[in-house]
Amino acid sequence: MRNDDLALVDLSEIAEAIAARRVTSVEVTEACLARIETWQPRTNAFLRLNREKALAQAKTLDSELAAGKRRGPLHGVPMAHKDMYYRKGELSTGGSAIRRDWRAPVTATVLQKLDAAGVVELGFLNMAEFAAGPTGHNVHHGHCRNPWDSKRVTGGSSSGSGASVAARVVYGALGSDTGGSIRLPASACGVVGMKATYGRVSRAGALARSWSLDHVGPLTRTVRDNARLLGVIAGHDPDDSTASERPVPDYERLLEGGVSGLRLGLALPNDGSAPLDAEVGGAVQTAADALGKLGARVTPATLPDFTALYRAAEVIVKCEAAAMHRPWLEKMPDAYANQVRTRMEAGFFIPATQYIDALRLRGHFLREFLTTALEGVDAVLLPAIPFPIPTIEETDVEAKGGPATLGMVGRFTALTRPFNTLGVPALSVPCGFDANGLPIGMQLVGRPFDEALLYRIGHAYQGVTEFHRRVPT
Amino acid sequence: MDEKTRTAAGIAAGLQGLKYDDGRLAELAAEVDVLNDAVRKAAAERLTFDDDPAAFASLLEREARK
Repeated sequence: MRNDDLALVDLSEIAEAIAARRVTSVEVTEACLARIETWQPRTNAFLRLNREKALAQAKTLDSELAAGKRRGPLHGVPMAHKDMYYRKGELSTGGSAIRRDWRAPVTATVLQKLDAAGVVELGFLNMAEFAAGPTGHNVHHGHCRNPWDSKRVTGGSSSGSGASVAARVVYGALGSDTGGSIRLPASACGVVGMKATYGRVSRAGALARSWSLDHVGPLTRTVRDNARLLGVIAGHDPDDSTASERPVPDYERLLEGGVSGLRLGLALPNDGSAPLDAEVGGAVQTAADALGKLGARVTPATLPDFTALYRAAEVIVKCEAAAMHRPWLEKMPDAYANQVRTRMEAGFFIPATQYIDALRLRGHFLREFLTTALEGVDAVLLPAIPFPIPTIEETDVEAKGGPATLGMVGRFTALTRPFNTLGVPALSVPCGFDANGLPIGMQLVGRPFDEALLYRIGHAYQGVTEFHRRVPT
Repeated sequence: MDEKTRTAAGIAAGLQGLKYDDGRLAELAAEVDVLNDAVRKAAAERLTFDDDPAAFASLLEREARK
């Protein structure tokens, strides 16, 4: 197999090929490194590439395998992660200028789990400054660019994660999601992204955007790959008091159940604040039809009015971000991009009672969602981004500003942020391409801790579609 | 300067020790007004004395598929 062919193989398949010793981790790592060399000038997905360290890791893992030791289901598989997962003693910028030279004092729990599973760490990936921004712009480290069209945004804040998985330079990547930051780049770049239930994956050792709404999760090329990766990183963690003690299912084993008999609610919300583009709506409708042909019962779903929920989420994010950033905001406000700083400042003016009420409302909002949109159905299907992927220039708030630009950027999260407030799982799966040749993504949203069911639906869908097989050239 | 902007100025200078110009204070006052209003109305319609923010995690566990 040629180097480039190796890089195009899915995560699960390459992991099995390494385990069977049909290919070595060193060969696979070299294939990724060669492809990164080609793609990095086009996407700017990597902030740091640890070439020598990765090759040394791969060599060690090959030696272990030759001696009969397989660490876990990701043994020898190269990955890279959003630059906000701490590794003790190593740089971790959070996409910022402020932490450009900062070294982490601990290793994130999720990185420890990936180490134990045998992952090769190629480096760390571009992201929005302090995970604040839905487009992939970054004034400090350079904007991340969509591999399908380098003039267009990747979605954010896990911009490098989406771009690098789509460009097939890594087999999978960690992102994080406070208002859509896994699902937006997954949708915009044509890959799979899972924001699991709040508490399903430990946040310990991950840079926070908002403690109450942050979710750690994987971006991959296929649903199967995503299931494998979530199975590795999910689970209880004594270092994160919000991590659930619920056992982690074998997501990969549960993939094959099909959708026959499942009830799906289709939501194509099209209101004044976030109008739904006809092309995007059509792609999601077609996906629903495909699931219907597979035996799912698809009915229209009505989402509750998310206006108050959306505002409550803004209150929570702004207050938590203002509190954690206050020392830097006081000492070096100009070290932030304007749009990042200004999005936090309102947090200093919101009364504590409003912040507490926003938190207290979450349970009510969750009950309302479960008894409306999810009443009588197993999952809800809806778009991830309600419009075709725009250019970097037309969404450049820092350079252009103005109400039209701000409005478009704000609408990015219209259909994703609600599920962070609700804490329920949401899976983004590619379901088409727009007239510009950019991917379209759909979300599958389920009950708390129903990740296995969402994967089952997504896997059935990928079994009869080819959108996830297309590779940018 | 309207009343809400004056309130924002008082919070910035008197309570938070932060400096903003009048234009920015007006923007912040308007932004906070929208957020506070939405949360206050939602809270009035839904919250009771016994609503505990920490109950959210328990509710997620309880509402999982049986």
